[in-house]
Amino acid sequence: METPDQRLFDEDVASVEFRLGAEKGRWGLPAPELISEFEWPKRLLWIAGAPRTGAPDRFYIAMDASGYRGVPPTGNFWDPATKSPLDVKRRPKGKSGSRVAKVFRTDWNNAAFYHPYDRVAADSHKKEWAPGAKDDPRRRWTPDHTIVDYLEEFYSLLNCGDYIGI
Amino acid sequence: MITQQTELFLHGQGARPRPILAASNETLRETLVRSGIIREGGNEILVFVGECQEALAEADTVEDGADAQEPVDINLTIEVLEIERYRHVHCHTCRHVATEITFNGQTKRHKFSPSTTVATVTQWAKKKFRLDPDAATDYVLEICGTTDKPRADKHLGELVKSGTCNLCFTIVTEINPQG
Repeated sequence: METPDQRLFDEDVASVEFRLGAEKGRWGLPAPELISEFEWPKRLLWIAGAPRTGAPDRFYIAMDASGYRGVPPTGNFWDPATKSPLDVKRRPKGKSGSRVAKVFRTDWNNAAFYHPYDRVAADSHKKEWAPGAKDDPRRRWTPDHTIVDYLEEFYSLLNCGDYIGI
Repeated sequence: MITQQTELFLHGQGARPRPILAASNETLRETLVRSGIIREGGNEILVFVGECQEALAEADTVEDGADAQEPVDINLTIEVLEIERYRHVHCHTCRHVATEITFNGQTKRHKFSPSTTVATVTQWAKKKFRLDPDAATDYVLEICGTTDKPRADKHLGELVKSGTCNLCFTIVTEINPQG
């Protein structure tokens, strides 16, 4: 039976906002054969990356969306060919010190993004990223946020000047 | 005769957009009545079609400019209004959204159409404040007095609070997560 978090997630994937981003080629649902193993709360989506020499034009993200929208999903890059987390050597890189490099860092937790829209990162930085704290990123997930906010945020990182490829 | 169906996206004040099907030969009024946006005979709402990007063509020297986009005549048909091409239909009580954007103690103002996206306003503001257009993720709009950074695809009409026709943003630099 569909759980409330799954129902909300599926509704948001069917929303106008998700569809418009998909139509623009910014993100989307992978081919059915790639997602057959992703039973709730696991989900697989892709996000387009800006053209960079030797880099793919899209990155797959495997996520666990349990508790959605009360809490954000958690996830990281996925290799559909090997059906396993994407090798860190093939993950998107950013210019040194940039936000891209920080969020997609591979020296912290290779199963999550270093970002307040990632459940594991947010949970493990409750004190550091609290409102008004020294390292408050001034971005936080609320129940009003949707998977489109998540996709838009990581899409913008993969399509900015600080993204240098893999 | 086969009547062509067009899917349009309805945007309203403080609401998420929703899809609706309309026949090409029906009037936009009929579509809006059917969807519960307006009442039969009601005329109190302004309707804009498409996404307005006029501000991007504004000269840098213009202060306190305003978009010229006019509300459409909802008694025209879906076909005549070219809804299939424009797709977005914005129903609003505001003719313009008077927007104030502050950066480094300076303020720029523009009266945007409610159908303008945050992406367009951001681009306009970067141009007005002469910010590096390549630093796409560094500068974002934050609603004054909050930490809310509305998504780029949101329309100003969706962000305006009921009973008001204005918005205030600050341009902020994204903070690298650390700690």
